Amino acid sequence: MSILFLILSILPIIAGVAIKVLFIPASEGISVTGAHIFFTIDLPMGGLPITEAQVNSWLVVISLFFFCLFLTHGLKTKNISKRQVVAEWIVEKVEGLVRSNMGEFFMGFAPFICAILGLSAFSSLQSLFGLYAATSDINVIAGWSVMVFFLITYYKLKAGPLVYFKGFAEPVAFFAPINVVSEFATPFSMTFRHYGNVLSGSIISVLIATGLGGLSKIVFQWLPGKIGELELFRIGLPAVFSIYFDIFSGCLQAFIFAMLTMLYVSGGFPEEEYYKRKARKMAKQSN
Amino acid sequence: MNSLDVISVNIWQIIISLANLVVLFFIFKKLLFKPVKNILAKREAEVMAEYDKATQATSDANELKASWEEKIKTADDKADEIIKAAVEKADHRSEVMLYESREKAESIIRKAKADAERERIEAQETIKQEIVGVSAAISEQIIGREINMNDHKVLIDSFIDNMENA
Repeated sequence: MSILFLILSILPIIAGVAIKVLFIPASEGISVTGAHIFFTIDLPMGGLPITEAQVNSWLVVISLFFFCLFLTHGLKTKNISKRQVVAEWIVEKVEGLVRSNMGEFFMGFAPFICAILGLSAFSSLQSLFGLYAATSDINVIAGWSVMVFFLITYYKLKAGPLVYFKGFAEPVAFFAPINVVSEFATPFSMTFRHYGNVLSGSIISVLIATGLGGLSKIVFQWLPGKIGELELFRIGLPAVFSIYFDIFSGCLQAFIFAMLTMLYVSGGFPEEEYYKRKARKMAKQSN
Repeated sequence: MNSLDVISVNIWQIIISLANLVVLFFIFKKLLFKPVKNILAKREAEVMAEYDKATQATSDANELKASWEEKIKTADDKADEIIKAAVEKADHRSEVMLYESREKAESIIRKAKADAERERIEAQETIKQEIVGVSAAISEQIIGREINMNDHKVLIDSFIDNMENA
């Protein structure tokens, strides 16, 4: 049973590779483009292109869905399995992170933060399998940032609209336009930070691979016959750079995005005013 | 070219991505956090129950120990009491026995004394009679005539009394 879930959680990645091999023509030379479009659904406002990035992020969601099932089926209180240790470790780590960054009030955010971490990290890590990393598509990150923006605004409004609009006039009313701009700049900055890092990472990977190819052509020109045509520098070396640009950068950006989400949401939440308002409401109700 | 530009914003894709995140949030909430937290809570409850059991057992044992100690203490006291009572009883009884034996001895002595007295008186009486008889016979022989026993009784008695007193 657990093997089945594990296979089902790995299957989407294999499916992604298969889709890429079957439907996407191999690019020649250096080309920096966005995600491949499979087909476009006619909708107002530009239509909905079903792209590689979209498909890959769905594959990550499906994969994580089965991975959750794999981790959490057959939980026990005694003699726990390694799977359960991993599941408990994930839950406790994420909850610890949320608790230390947001406080007890926001403990419900733990699954959301976990979702951001998982989706972002695994979407970036897809590039290890030669897939198009979903996080290097701006629309994917933009969707998450919009969600975070909604959450920030929702929790800012918890203390009432008056407190929310007053917050823009801090420290003096003169700053109001700047504050409004910075409010809307938050999702943009989050989007471009994450997307830009991942995309630049994959562009640099491509550049390094190509550059090393050219370099090895120059250096090993003198070698006879076919050996001279082999691009020897391209063996192994790009993988070393890929460790930084794909694995490290991908995980780091996921972590940064999650941290910023926690900080913006909990930082924007006016806790004192919220409890005051709650107390006022309670008093009104009891009257 | 059948692919997007590097930067191409599409509102539908943004919405889909947002929905993906929300879906994954619910997946994690329902399938990872809820069961794991449930099992953690369950385990904690079990551990607490075990702790409670252990505390209960310890307190029970302590209670038992205290009661046994109490019992041992009272047993010592009881033994002391019993011994004391027995000693007292024995003392009492020995005293009673002593008293009784002394009484008995005294009564025996008294009886013996009384017997002796009575015998002495009897003997005296007998001796007196004999003396009277003998003195009468002697007087008869000396005087030569029969003495009227009854006439002289007073005389003789006074004589014997005098002898006694002398």
